[in-house]
Amino acid sequence: MALLEVTDLRTHFFTREGVVQAVDGVDFSLERGKTLGIVGESGSGKSVTALSIMGLIPRPPARIVSGSVVFDGRDLTALSESELEDIRGKDIAMIFQDPMTSLNPTLKIGTQITEVMKRHLGVSDEEARKRAVDLLEEVHIANAADRLNDYPHRFSGGMRQRVMIAIALACNPKLLIADEPTTALDVTVQAQVLDLLEELRDSHEMAMIIITHDMGVVAEAADDIAVMYAGQIVERAGVLDLFDRPEHPYTEALLGALPQIEGEGIREGRLTAIPGRPPDLVDPPPACRFAPRCPYANRNDSCTTEPPELREIRAGHWVRSAHPASERAAHAQGAPA
Amino acid sequence: MAVNPSQEAVRGAPGEPRSAGAPVRQSSLWRDAWRRYVKNRGAVAAALVFFLLLLYCFAVPGFWKIPGIWTSLRDVDPYQIDFPNAYASPSLAHPFGTDNFGRDLFARTALGGQISIAIGFGATLAILLIGVVYGAISGFAGGKLDNGMMRFLDALYGLPYLPFAIITLAIVGVVNFWTMVVALSIASWFTAARIVRGQIITLKQNDYVRAARAVGARWYRVLGRHLLPNTLGVLIIAIFLELPGVILGEAFLSFIGLGINPPDASWGSMAQDGRDAYRRAPHIIIVPSIAIATLVLCANFIADGLRDALDPRTRES
Repeated sequence: MALLEVTDLRTHFFTREGVVQAVDGVDFSLERGKTLGIVGESGSGKSVTALSIMGLIPRPPARIVSGSVVFDGRDLTALSESELEDIRGKDIAMIFQDPMTSLNPTLKIGTQITEVMKRHLGVSDEEARKRAVDLLEEVHIANAADRLNDYPHRFSGGMRQRVMIAIALACNPKLLIADEPTTALDVTVQAQVLDLLEELRDSHEMAMIIITHDMGVVAEAADDIAVMYAGQIVERAGVLDLFDRPEHPYTEALLGALPQIEGEGIREGRLTAIPGRPPDLVDPPPACRFAPRCPYANRNDSCTTEPPELREIRAGHWVRSAHPASERAAHAQGAPA
Repeated sequence: MAVNPSQEAVRGAPGEPRSAGAPVRQSSLWRDAWRRYVKNRGAVAAALVFFLLLLYCFAVPGFWKIPGIWTSLRDVDPYQIDFPNAYASPSLAHPFGTDNFGRDLFARTALGGQISIAIGFGATLAILLIGVVYGAISGFAGGKLDNGMMRFLDALYGLPYLPFAIITLAIVGVVNFWTMVVALSIASWFTAARIVRGQIITLKQNDYVRAARAVGARWYRVLGRHLLPNTLGVLIIAIFLELPGVILGEAFLSFIGLGINPPDASWGSMAQDGRDAYRRAPHIIIVPSIAIATLVLCANFIADGLRDALDPRTRES
């Protein structure tokens, strides 16, 4: 059985302007030891999905209106706040986008690391400090024992993200959710943090969810990729399959928008962009949410009348579109006959 | 997967002195704040005067009695009545003159200052205590409770603070340090509660609060460890913002006869004594009035300097 099974998750924000359907029917599962990359642009519901799993969505205005998040055999959406608190940081840990603000400036980092262990493992002060030193060494921070007594302002961004990772790993979680772990970092440090995450995933045998808008990040770190658009997963596949044979027009457009420096088919001039804007999630397009921006949608077919289902177009490759690439090709070949 | 040790990690390699590479300048929040505070000359001067005033009020009566030093001048008892010398103008023997009973005003102003300042700080701390508890609960709980508590506060905001203090004293019927503190804080903690609530709500948005919740910290730990300590800066500012109002309030209550009972004195009641003879002996009302004005002015300047020093939004680069 999968470690994490998310079924038909819907998280809506009830605001004065209306109901924002931030996450609207997300399904995925994650096995132990695997990494899932969730990709999508700002506002596509990636972070809200992660926060829904953790039970950290701001209530009010947000609420999980339906669906289940089964983690290790337990439905997290049905647990009480105090039961969730016992799971957070122990079985599921999370690291956030901005390491500069994720550490409390008034507490020594040693305190912030040992805090978690004392909370969940009930270890003594001394034991917790000893483990904190090991953890800092594990995330490659030199002089670990001395640095426990430093305040966060003496660490650089990359170092702080390492400290955040150490805190996340303190209780050997089964699942680590990394919400844009590298976005706020310098490009050189990004690669190091990704390598570190991958190394730790293997040594701690955890599953990992990496949330990002950077295709390069998931290409490097993920086993499976889910592409989100307007609160829904539009395509889900293994990393190689997705990059080699993208099916959804949105994924194709995303990959097409990546800047290329060299190689075959290099484009000249301006970078490609996807025309139009992501839909308003208070009042999304009635059927396919990508239809208004999709080059293949036309007025006469189901794109504007019937919401497409997420279907398995080939083994392990799921897509939510009436016009996936392979069917377009087949159609084009069949047409002249 | 090969590990790329980060540059930062290499810089602090074991055995290497930490100051190698780019030395990290030791600089704490308080040190930064101190540096910014001393740049503000008005605030430094105000703090100095404030300190001298405290020294005068609390230490002078003691020094006065040190045998062999000041006794040669005169051993001054602020309660010592000396009718032949009543209404004496300032002189060497009585630097501030004497009052209608011939009591030495230099000693009495110090005595009155002790009481005024004690009540001022006592009531300010009471205001902050109530404000912190109310504001923290409201801001931290959020939602309907927050809304309810704030609307209740809006309703209370209309209450005039001095009449309320007068009513409180009238109901209690006893005037001493504690009833004065209660009377002065009972209708003046609303602003403090709002400040704390606003601060808590701002801090609640911080990533480290989210991060603390993401590792399973319970609510009381989030509040006590991550939110309240970070409100310390605004609280220190608030002390000096509230202080002038409270001291003026105390002076006013004493002036209209609701204050400290004679023969004890506060600056307000001393001014009241001087009012009856302001033509004949104007120094009796002038001395405590100047003392009140100086204290209030200093507190305002100090609050200003502290705000510039501690509030990150108004910091210059």
